[in-house]
Amino acid sequence: MTPRENLISLLRRKGYEEVPYEFFLCPSLVEKYHEATKSEESYFDYFQMPWRRLSDLKPDQPDVSRFLAYHGGSIGDDTVIDEWGVGHQSTPTSMHMTRMLCPLADADSEEQVKEYPLPTYSEESNPGLKEEADALHARGLASVGNMQCTIWETSWYIRGMENMMMDMMCEEPMAEIMLDRVLQMSISRALLYAKAGVDILYFGDDVGMQQSVMMSEELYCTWLKPRLKKLIDEVRKIRPDILVFYHSCGYIEPFIPHLIDAGVDVLNPIQPECMDFAEIFQKYQGQISFHGTIGTQSVMPFGTPEEVKKEVWKNLDIAGKKGGLFVAPTHLLEPEVPWENIVAYVEACKEYKGQ
Amino acid sequence: MGILEEISTLLQQGRAPKVKSLVAQAIEEGIEPQKILEEGLLSGMSVVGEKFKNDQVFVPEVLIAARAMNAGTQVLKPYLIEEGVEEKGTVVLGTVKGDLHDIGKNLVKMMMEGKGLKVIDLGVDVPAETYLQAARENNARIIACSALLTTTMGEMKNVVDMAKASGLDVKVMIGGAPVTQDFADSIGADCYTPDAASAAEAALAFCS
Repeated sequence: MTPRENLISLLRRKGYEEVPYEFFLCPSLVEKYHEATKSEESYFDYFQMPWRRLSDLKPDQPDVSRFLAYHGGSIGDDTVIDEWGVGHQSTPTSMHMTRMLCPLADADSEEQVKEYPLPTYSEESNPGLKEEADALHARGLASVGNMQCTIWETSWYIRGMENMMMDMMCEEPMAEIMLDRVLQMSISRALLYAKAGVDILYFGDDVGMQQSVMMSEELYCTWLKPRLKKLIDEVRKIRPDILVFYHSCGYIEPFIPHLIDAGVDVLNPIQPECMDFAEIFQKYQGQISFHGTIGTQSVMPFGTPEEVKKEVWKNLDIAGKKGGLFVAPTHLLEPEVPWENIVAYVEACKEYKGQ
Repeated sequence: MGILEEISTLLQQGRAPKVKSLVAQAIEEGIEPQKILEEGLLSGMSVVGEKFKNDQVFVPEVLIAARAMNAGTQVLKPYLIEEGVEEKGTVVLGTVKGDLHDIGKNLVKMMMEGKGLKVIDLGVDVPAETYLQAARENNARIIACSALLTTTMGEMKNVVDMAKASGLDVKVMIGGAPVTQDFADSIGADCYTPDAASAAEAALAFCS
């Protein structure tokens, strides 16, 4: 099997020949990678990861100056406005993290939300997507359309989380308009990737906290689940075979049946500090596969290489021969993760011999 | 239902305009401002905190309840000042240096205010010395530090060390997704709480 075939077979729980592995490094770890390996290649190529993301989609309106009015008319050199109009302000001490500036934080009318100049996306502005996917497939690699912050997160990045939650609680029409506009935008983006032939669409909206869900099941099922389902349904109309990943950090167990119901195939990241993978696997195996499970709040930064390996093997044992677990660190690897632990994770995957 | 009980119930439902008008009505009826605060607003917020801790309500419910409490407090504040009613203690709160995450911290602030504490919110990316300076200036009993990242939680040790060296009578509380009791013990923090409602309870206990 090619790495692509192997990965898809594992994700569909039809068995696998090799344990695939993947991770993302923060900028300072990328430097460490080049030092440690003396390689000039990208670390995805160096480690022979089985998938690659297609280029991020380009909006039809690349000029973000239309959003300046939402940020007091001007921004400082330390701030960047993204294609959705959200400001990201860096500070001298915050590394690769930025402070978020929500453009509709002060909005108080439906008109303001209706008129907010969200971008549009088209094939004309994104030529060559199919060629990118084809080229990856020709190399035996799986292709991914990355669209995290799919509905809820982009909506609240624009409106502010507290405002968005209160709008939803008060059944404020602004909430419905905001979520529906972002949903429509996400459908058009997802269809571009789907038409390009990607194997995987990677959606995600954080709805979990460390030990509890971010909102009640009722609120989730009223506002977010139907929109995620609509998005997946629209994609499946033209690509019934596409694999849908969904990411949410934290504890989200009460939402897992709803995610399955909405059509999610693979759930990421199953943080072991928040949920017990063995229990979750036992409960939902056969209905959904998993991606992640190796803790980036625990074993990756603070464990020994041996502990990393044991964790990888333990979770692969739980999943069994059919697969259903793409074992990986649960999040971007941050500066304090020892390089030895990253190497140990890769070795553990390569050395795994099955039960 | 008495008017104070009604204020408490409406606050729990997040009905800000109603809470506001009922607080004004209670004042007109001649109920002591401190009683309105304790038995109306804080009592309602306390139920919300307890339910939040027990996963019976979640962040959105807390947000609208806190908004209702603020609406009521705004009406009540001039009368509390006039009567010389003081907060039960002062907490200096912030997310530690290098960390810009503020949702958890804001929740802690709401819960602490819901216990009748005064909260000096230093925002995010707060250096250790800023916590200490603010604690000194505001005569705070508690410094509360939040962090979301394993990368930045180490900064909490600097706050603890600096607080100890300062000689101030101040307790350092810590919390945030990756933070644990073991970590709190290892850096010598006075208190770790796993959620915002417990943090508010612990803070109140330190102040009484």
